[in-house]
Amino acid sequence: MNKLIAVTCLSVMCAACTGKTGNSNSSVSEEVKLEQYIVEGRTLYLQHCSSCHQANGQGLARLYPPLNNSDYLNNNVEKVVCNIKYGMSGPLLVNGIEYNQMMPGNPRLTPLEIAEITTYIYNSWGRSDGLVGVLDVEKYLKNCEEND
Amino acid sequence: MKSRLVLIGAFFLCVMILGCDLQTEKKLPYLGRREIYNGYTFYHTIEDFKFVDQDSNYFTQATFKDQIYVSDFFFTSCPTICPVMKTQMLRVYEKYKENKEVAILSHSIDPKHDTVAVLKSFAERLGVESNTWKFVTGDKDEIYKVGQTSYMVSAVEDPTEPGGFIHSGAFILVDKQRRVRGIYDGTVADQVDILMSDMELLLKEYE
Repeated sequence: MNKLIAVTCLSVMCAACTGKTGNSNSSVSEEVKLEQYIVEGRTLYLQHCSSCHQANGQGLARLYPPLNNSDYLNNNVEKVVCNIKYGMSGPLLVNGIEYNQMMPGNPRLTPLEIAEITTYIYNSWGRSDGLVGVLDVEKYLKNCEEND
Repeated sequence: MKSRLVLIGAFFLCVMILGCDLQTEKKLPYLGRREIYNGYTFYHTIEDFKFVDQDSNYFTQATFKDQIYVSDFFFTSCPTICPVMKTQMLRVYEKYKENKEVAILSHSIDPKHDTVAVLKSFAERLGVESNTWKFVTGDKDEIYKVGQTSYMVSAVEDPTEPGGFIHSGAFILVDKQRRVRGIYDGTVADQVDILMSDMELLLKEYE
């Protein structure tokens, strides 16, 4: 009798784990993925971006633009991804303030690392815009190369 | 017996008072080589130089007459330590910008790219308004020489380094007689804290 109960419980658990029960499970794994990207992205951000853009994303005076509450980020993921990889130069308007300091690129960052940094930026300081996945980043990066 | 105890007590009291008095007499060191001649000590001083600041004015030792100053070496397109150095130097600037006895001097080690116009734009964007903080450019060899021999910090071109230069993140504190009184790591906030308290000590020397 106990054996039967044990086997039944085990089967029910296995069935639950196959994900066939639908939405609740896949959103959990998506949440986990988002968290992982954000955590990794934060480490990378602090290492590669924070010396100019600062740990709190506020930038520096009118030299380095903020990422924290920055209108530049709105609807601009592709450009942000290209900037991280290849840098940028020329005048730039952020929150109505003009910046014009060359940003060095990070050519050695992999698409996954860029996806993590971008996800971190888009989910920090009041934003929660969801995952920026590595496949999308690879797509965007191809387009940057064409423009350079 | 009682008088003996009183005597010992008084002795210790004197020692403590004297000891305390000596401890408050902290003076900043004199860095660099020194020569002793005829009983007089000649300390290492900053040699004369002539550079151009962000307002196109010639800049020499005379420009900072009667001022103590903090000096560093950077370049505007630097991606690694310079932003941190500038953030820290801004702290020093904010504290002393109204103080007529204090100045800040930033040398560019990339005079080819950092022209007067570039330095002016950089200074403005950093939010530096007063005459307290000068950004200078000039002959590259002269700048490297003054860094190496006068300020005792180094800078060298290195194409493999991000930005193209390796340089020291040091902040150097110089007194009114152009003697080096302290060298601090400008990328470390705690060291800049020490710099600012040393600046207070140095200013006291002139009271």
